[in-house]
Amino acid sequence: MAVVEYKDVSRIYPGSEIPAVNTLNLTVASGELLVLVGPSGSGKSTALRMLAGLEPANEGSIHIDGADVTDFEPQQRDIAMVFQNYALYPQMTVAGNMGFALKQRKVPKAEREAKVLEAARILDLEPYLDRKPKNLSGGQRQRVAMGRAIVREPKVFLMDEPLSNLDAKLRVQTRAELADLQARLGVTTVYVTHDQVEAMTMGHRVAVLKDGFLQQVDAPKELYHRPANRFVAGFIGSPAMNLIPTDRIDGKVTFGSFQVPLDAQTEKALASQPGVAFTVGIRPEHLQLVTSGIPGEVKLLEELGSESYIHVQVQHEDRDQILVVRTDGDATVSRGSTVNVGFNGPVHLFGEDGLRIE
Amino acid sequence: MVEQQRIEPADNGTSGKGGGRARKSSFLSEAWKRRLPLLPAFLIVVVLTQVPFLMSIYFSLTRWRANTAEPREFIGVDNYIDLVSNSFFWSAAWNSILMTVVSVGLSLLFGTGLALLLDRKFFGQGFARTLIITPFLVMPVVAGLVWKNQMLNSSFGVINWFIEGLGMEPISFASRYPLWTIVVVLVWQWTPFMMLIILAGLQGQSSSVLEAAKVDGANGVSTFFQITLPHLRSYLELGALLGVIYLSQVYDHIRVITRGTGSANLPYFVYLRSIGGGWQFGAASAYSIVVVIFSFIIANFGLRVLSGLLTDEGA
Amino acid sequence: MADFAKPKGKGRFTSLAFTSLTWLLAGIFFFPIFWMFISGFKSELDANGAPKLFFEPTLEQYRIVTETPPGQLGFWEATTNSFIIVIVSTLIVMMLAVPTAYALTIRPVGKWMEYLFFFISTKFLPIVASILPIYILAKHFDLLSSRRLLIILYMSMNLPLAIWMLRSFFQEVPRELIEAAEIDGANLRSQMVSVILPIVAPGLAATALLCFIFAWNEYFLAVQLNTTGGETVPIWASSVVDERGQFLAKLSAASTLATLPVIVAGWVAQKRMIRGLAMGAIK
Repeated sequence: MAVVEYKDVSRIYPGSEIPAVNTLNLTVASGELLVLVGPSGSGKSTALRMLAGLEPANEGSIHIDGADVTDFEPQQRDIAMVFQNYALYPQMTVAGNMGFALKQRKVPKAEREAKVLEAARILDLEPYLDRKPKNLSGGQRQRVAMGRAIVREPKVFLMDEPLSNLDAKLRVQTRAELADLQARLGVTTVYVTHDQVEAMTMGHRVAVLKDGFLQQVDAPKELYHRPANRFVAGFIGSPAMNLIPTDRIDGKVTFGSFQVPLDAQTEKALASQPGVAFTVGIRPEHLQLVTSGIPGEVKLLEELGSESYIHVQVQHEDRDQILVVRTDGDATVSRGSTVNVGFNGPVHLFGEDGLRIE
Repeated sequence: MVEQQRIEPADNGTSGKGGGRARKSSFLSEAWKRRLPLLPAFLIVVVLTQVPFLMSIYFSLTRWRANTAEPREFIGVDNYIDLVSNSFFWSAAWNSILMTVVSVGLSLLFGTGLALLLDRKFFGQGFARTLIITPFLVMPVVAGLVWKNQMLNSSFGVINWFIEGLGMEPISFASRYPLWTIVVVLVWQWTPFMMLIILAGLQGQSSSVLEAAKVDGANGVSTFFQITLPHLRSYLELGALLGVIYLSQVYDHIRVITRGTGSANLPYFVYLRSIGGGWQFGAASAYSIVVVIFSFIIANFGLRVLSGLLTDEGA
Repeated sequence: MADFAKPKGKGRFTSLAFTSLTWLLAGIFFFPIFWMFISGFKSELDANGAPKLFFEPTLEQYRIVTETPPGQLGFWEATTNSFIIVIVSTLIVMMLAVPTAYALTIRPVGKWMEYLFFFISTKFLPIVASILPIYILAKHFDLLSSRRLLIILYMSMNLPLAIWMLRSFFQEVPRELIEAAEIDGANLRSQMVSVILPIVAPGLAATALLCFIFAWNEYFLAVQLNTTGGETVPIWASSVVDERGQFLAKLSAASTLATLPVIVAGWVAQKRMIRGLAMGAIK
């Protein structure tokens, strides 16, 4: 059980001008599963590797359980890490892999074996303890990597895209198992992924990064319903939020001939905004097909069975604009037909600087 | 197993590091920490290669005949001036270039051919490869002796036996074609080496690329020239580089087969002029310095090729 | 797989032709060695005449060449010298090259490429150019009358090659494995022993073998520095001819004995050897 803190942490790779991680401030509560999510190059892995001690921090400090570990070697930090490709020692058996860290700490053999066996039991790895990693399936390898982390009983688990090498079905299953395991063990966990679905389903809180900057850190629900800026709005949620550039005319934000419905609070905040250019964000489920609304042509239809995503091309400020509408599975439209789109829920508004207005 | 005392990992900052200031000095020692493992090898190589080289430079500026009682005398660049007009030196230089270029070229050509043949699946593939690589493993002295005495000898050589069988006069290869005899033996020894490198290249070729070419309708010949050969380029370069390093310094074969007659390359010429009977240590040192300069021009070129290989890899 | 001659209909004939050609060339390349090998079992009468494939085999020549004529270099002495010199020098090379390869790959020094180039560039220095200073230095340090001189020289001769090859193998050690070991609390020694060395072990073996081959076969330095008490097998092999004239059967027996250790070792490790030379250098 430990609190992890990043205080103004920056990492500039040699030969680069732009920091990979830029003055990151982040606190992970004890026992929390925090997910770092972002597109590639966002700095999420760098942030994790700095916490592991595999990458030095150029500025700022990192604290585990109150102790400044910024200049500690990985060995001194009492952390365990699960790597994307598992990084199992090929010449050691499953038991050898899981017990290696304990052996390094000179834990007596009997105690070591007991702990390995216990971890193997939790992860259903008992029959495989004498096998070499090359004789295991992808899912089993992933569990060995997990086992190697749990036997340590570390202060913090670090996970670097641990599920990305599994096939889609196994990934969904393992995702749930992993979240459950973490909750049972109650060990503070920092989890890196590029997959926002994984982030949303697993994280107690999710930290979104882009270009080395922390965009927002919040509970998944909050992230979804109140994205702090245009980037988070577009990144979280699938299919992605519709983001429509609009201009303010006569104090109102309009879409085509429609006035965008804003709640009173947002309306008030909008009044104090100096610019004219805004972005309206609306999730696909908050749009619907109506008899009288914004007219457009169906360009693409994605049918998933339980629901359908309809891509409608509408005219807005003399430009073509695609709106994705999410409907239930039995939509009757077809490609090329003309439909009307109407608003059906909350609308997000972002200013010229991309920040949320409310 | 012996019961050992359990040691907790040190997680309190006993090392006293922690601030931004402390980090600077730890980075400096980090550079040395990284350099430390290669220092022994580095220093040993510097001492063992550079010290003799510096001594050679000094000797090359002296008149020093080891077979006379004359003392060593500093004469400046005279040895180098004499060298320019020494036709033996230039013919040795020409031999060197000819021998290196022809043997490396032929070894690469034959090696590529053999590699292509061996890269097919057929019965006894591994055994055929084993037979073909063996010449590379043979001690150069033995290779020279076997070829000279048992293959090419004019009275009991196997090849001359064939030639006589065809009704022609036997040829004493080593005395009539000394340079080419040596080239034959060098090619025999180095073709297997080149074959192994090219084979590694062929086996490293991704099968999906070849399949894509097949789907795109390329036939065998055009697949070879447009896909396989470009892929092999870096392997050919590596083979050429290693070949030049070793074949430009051939000594053993020459010593055993011709003793330098009509086939002395630069190393052998330097040898003949110094410890090989000439005892002109001053002049020989000057020759060797020139050889080193030549070698470094070639090396520079070779290393540029190599640096290309290394940067490709980094990409 | 080569792209031509897949056994398919008309291709089957081509395939057979290519296979025959391969076997023919393999035969040609191996023939001199085969000839040397069988000639060692001939009597001198059979060997010094028109080439003969069928003869009455005898071990006589092996008996003669392994006998030590008084005052001359004997086979057993040369073999002992060779093994000691080659093994010791190869061990030293490996002990120096392993940490160097580590410092060029896993935790690389700044400008690692320049260090690597320096090591390789020393291979371009013709040995003959430094034989004289080496002789003078060796005499000064009283190394001429021992095996030590050749040990030192073969070490410096093979070190760059070993570093080059080991670098290739070390490069194939996945970064994450070392990082995982660091996080697991392994110190440098333990990372080396438990993680890195087991992975590069085949590469170490191949590299050591190549060093062994080059050192075993080396003749120039051995003969020129003429270290009394340190004469090696190549000197012995050439002396069999020099001193006993045209005795082809004896020469063949001696040649077979001289080359056998390296040929056997090379056959065993052929695949790995080439991986070390070619892989990693090229991607």
